[in-house]
Amino acid sequence: MIPLIVRRIAQFPVILLAIYTLTVVLAWAIPGNPLEKPEGRQPPAEVKQAMLRQYNLDRFDRFYVSYLDSALGIRFVRETITGEAARRASAAEAAGLAAPKRYVFDLGPSLQYEDWRVNEIVASALPVSVTLGFCAVAIALVIGVTAGVIGAVKPNSPIDLITLVVALVGISLPSFVIGTTLVLVFPVWLGVGALGGWGNLDQIILPAITLSLPFAAYIARLTRMGMLDNLKADYIRTARAKGVPESRVLLKHALKNAFLPVLSYLGPACAMAMTGSFVVERVFSVPGMGQHFVNGVLNKDLFLIMGVVLIFATMLVAFNLAVDVLYKWVDPRIEG
Amino acid sequence: MVKLLIPLLILLVAVGVTIATDEDGPEPDFVFINRGDVTTLDLQKMSWSQDLRIGRALFEGLVGLDVFSHEFNVKPGVSERWELSEDRKTYTFFLRPDAKWSNGEPVRASDFVYSWRRMLLPDTGCDYIAMAQIIEGAKEFTTWREQRLAEFGKEGGPADARALWAETEKKFVEMVRLSAVDDLTLRFTLSRPTPYFLELLAFASFYPVYPPQVRQYEVLDESSGRLNTKSGWTKGGVLISNGPYMLTGWRFKRDMTFEKNPHYWAKERLGFDRMLMLSVEDVNAQVLAFRSGTVHWLSDVAAPYRAEILTQKREFYREHQAEYDRMVAEGLDPVEIDRRLPSDPRNRVGAYSAFGTYFYSFNCQPKLKDGRDNPFADKRVRRAFTMAVDKQRIVDQVRRLGEKPVSVLVPPGSIAGYRSPEGLPYDPERARRELAAAGYPGGKGLPTIEVLFTKDGGHDLIAQAIKKDWEEHLGVSVELVMKEIKVFRNDVRGQNFMVSRGSWFGDFGDPATFLDLSRKDDGNNDRKYASAEFEDLMNRSDNEQDPAKRFELLHQAEKLIMEEDLPILPMFQYVEMQMYDPHVLTGVSSHPRQIENIQDFDILGDGKGPDKPKMLPAKRRGVPGESDIRSRGAVRTDASSSHARTSTPESRSVGVAP
Repeated sequence: MIPLIVRRIAQFPVILLAIYTLTVVLAWAIPGNPLEKPEGRQPPAEVKQAMLRQYNLDRFDRFYVSYLDSALGIRFVRETITGEAARRASAAEAAGLAAPKRYVFDLGPSLQYEDWRVNEIVASALPVSVTLGFCAVAIALVIGVTAGVIGAVKPNSPIDLITLVVALVGISLPSFVIGTTLVLVFPVWLGVGALGGWGNLDQIILPAITLSLPFAAYIARLTRMGMLDNLKADYIRTARAKGVPESRVLLKHALKNAFLPVLSYLGPACAMAMTGSFVVERVFSVPGMGQHFVNGVLNKDLFLIMGVVLIFATMLVAFNLAVDVLYKWVDPRIEG
Repeated sequence: MVKLLIPLLILLVAVGVTIATDEDGPEPDFVFINRGDVTTLDLQKMSWSQDLRIGRALFEGLVGLDVFSHEFNVKPGVSERWELSEDRKTYTFFLRPDAKWSNGEPVRASDFVYSWRRMLLPDTGCDYIAMAQIIEGAKEFTTWREQRLAEFGKEGGPADARALWAETEKKFVEMVRLSAVDDLTLRFTLSRPTPYFLELLAFASFYPVYPPQVRQYEVLDESSGRLNTKSGWTKGGVLISNGPYMLTGWRFKRDMTFEKNPHYWAKERLGFDRMLMLSVEDVNAQVLAFRSGTVHWLSDVAAPYRAEILTQKREFYREHQAEYDRMVAEGLDPVEIDRRLPSDPRNRVGAYSAFGTYFYSFNCQPKLKDGRDNPFADKRVRRAFTMAVDKQRIVDQVRRLGEKPVSVLVPPGSIAGYRSPEGLPYDPERARRELAAAGYPGGKGLPTIEVLFTKDGGHDLIAQAIKKDWEEHLGVSVELVMKEIKVFRNDVRGQNFMVSRGSWFGDFGDPATFLDLSRKDDGNNDRKYASAEFEDLMNRSDNEQDPAKRFELLHQAEKLIMEEDLPILPMFQYVEMQMYDPHVLTGVSSHPRQIENIQDFDILGDGKGPDKPKMLPAKRRGVPGESDIRSRGAVRTDASSSHARTSTPESRSVGVAP
């Protein structure tokens, strides 16, 4: 188990550097000037050029290196060692005011949201996306596993058919349809739950359900298939012959093995639930990360694009690692 | 299975903790949606209308605008009174001693000097830098600094950022004629008399930032010599401001909270103790948020079904036709008419003509980007294409928002005392003659006309309507080129187009805010239109002292570009739609300049603020029951009357078709 983790962690920087390089090349290729507003007044050309220079946006090589420099924390260390940071802090103190914040891993300023640094944006949006994503996955697990087990116990029964239809609908209907329908039915018509926003439980439930449905559907199918396979297995027949109660047969013996494919699906599902929520975020005005993926690219906000991509790449790799470890814990026979 | 439940349980606890720690503040008195979200609160970097609106609520300039006067009067702000010299170039402002920052410190004249210097430094990147460059020596200062920065680090150029900055501070004092005479007196001289400069001072870019705070975030970049401002000082609970409200919280893409500034000199006029701005970007969710009662005011209705919302309002008016007609005849403000009509969900939308024009641009350069000859270099072709567009049909059938088709650039009736030219009519017959005279009879010899536009905002529908008109009336073939906004912007800036969509909103109450667009060297002259005659008229208007004569020169200039040269094909005057309940909220202005000041808003009957309906005065004199909002203590001085205005602009609701 330990060598597996060590090996995976050693791969981390290589994977991330590859993702960074690819993203920076693609983001650089987006047409347009990232500092230019789409409508309205334009500052004179010299001012625009000077602004580009300020962020190293006039030269690819300088941007590539300087971003790594600050995002990896090299600059932070350098400024601490040379005393540059202390100098600035004392100057601020002398004036009786708080010095500007420093970040170890500085993801840069946002070009679109001028008053915010990418670190702050991530700090405000990431917990939201993580919460929403986990809630969605938790709901998906409860719904999916329950439906899957019921379907497997009574295959081809009406109840199995119903779960099949619901699963199909969950997978095929886009989330803006489900989300908008839920908004219409609950807050607008019935007056239950919140219309949008974030913070209270009633504001989380509807987006979490919307986000969970495709996952729930997939988990239901996975569970049903696994259960059907396992229920035919010899050890189940043995257990039943021994006189083990049926509920124990299903939940303890069959489900334990049938759950393994679901478990391996959970890694990417968690990452997807947290990243793929752009539409849900928009419908329910949830201030999460998904919007920054899309808006960052639309606005050619290079720092924001790099920041969110790097954060998510890290998370995705980490989740896959976590699932592998969990897998081995649940079933020690599996080789790392 | 138990093993599996453990991680899940940990996650659930984590989620629970996250939710529990995320608490909302005390109940706000007023909740609103300000377009989608605010971009920046750095006054000198603002350029979006929603940012400027918050800027005006948080900060206060030397003067403000009275949005409840037809003349859009300038009213005192931080300055109590002001004087203008004989030659109409030197202004002296006397600051009120009780103007305070939100930390209790007094507002000093030097704060303005610092903030305006910030505006003029090319390092800041102020979009509205040109406004401040009217001050004598300002343009030269910016150019000087930019030159020194370009030479920085090169041979013979400056090498030390600190030395260059010290030199810059000295140069500013030497070059720019702007100074703080004492703590309460600010004096500056313009390079030429500018009748609208006083009004410019009400623009948020001229408002002061708190120098001791911003200085802490300024960093001299050793490698380029530039003075960069780091972000962080505009955050909730950090930002120090001098306006009616102060910022208590700003959660990224979530909300902003405001509280009454306890040190504001006129705080008893304010309608709210606490305000909450929600960040909602989805246009449908915005309307839902208003309809469900979550917000009191939605600044812009952009939902695709807004034409239907307006149709319902017209129906509501028809049900009260007699009453409505009577009040219109009395000359009542449309906002007040809505308030006097019964409460009804359909009556909770306001649509007012805005200070903006939708138009199409013709590329005026002799050659296109790909080297082909440009047919639109010939003004006869531009005139022909202009007269072949049926704007009324576009407004009635495509837009359906009650917008007014226009044949001039400056929205007619928006500026008191200014007379708009006629412009060109819709006349396909004359259009065909013009085209034939240009050497393209029946459209023969013209290449395929490419129309450049962006997808969102209904631009595609307008482009289709225009294509139909041009193909039908002129016999040309038209190709529609739809591009993504960034690419579109690049193409337009680089003259990589034949015809393209465009729009312009005025910044100040003078025709120049629209006409400058066609000046040869203007940064926003995407058409690269250049005419010696037009330049001459504009230059003469710059130097004209007599306001009436000046407007006459501007009239001639507009006549030239709207009847002869047509670099721009004007389409219609924008309408801005907002949602509010007129029986609950007051302070919305229907003035065609369309500036909404949150600090003027008030919830009626909540016991906070004056609780009196605010409105534009009725246009017919002697209407009983009308309160004159202008009597709120505006101090008129000699200076403010320099902006001579002879007639009142027309304020118009688009609620009912005439």
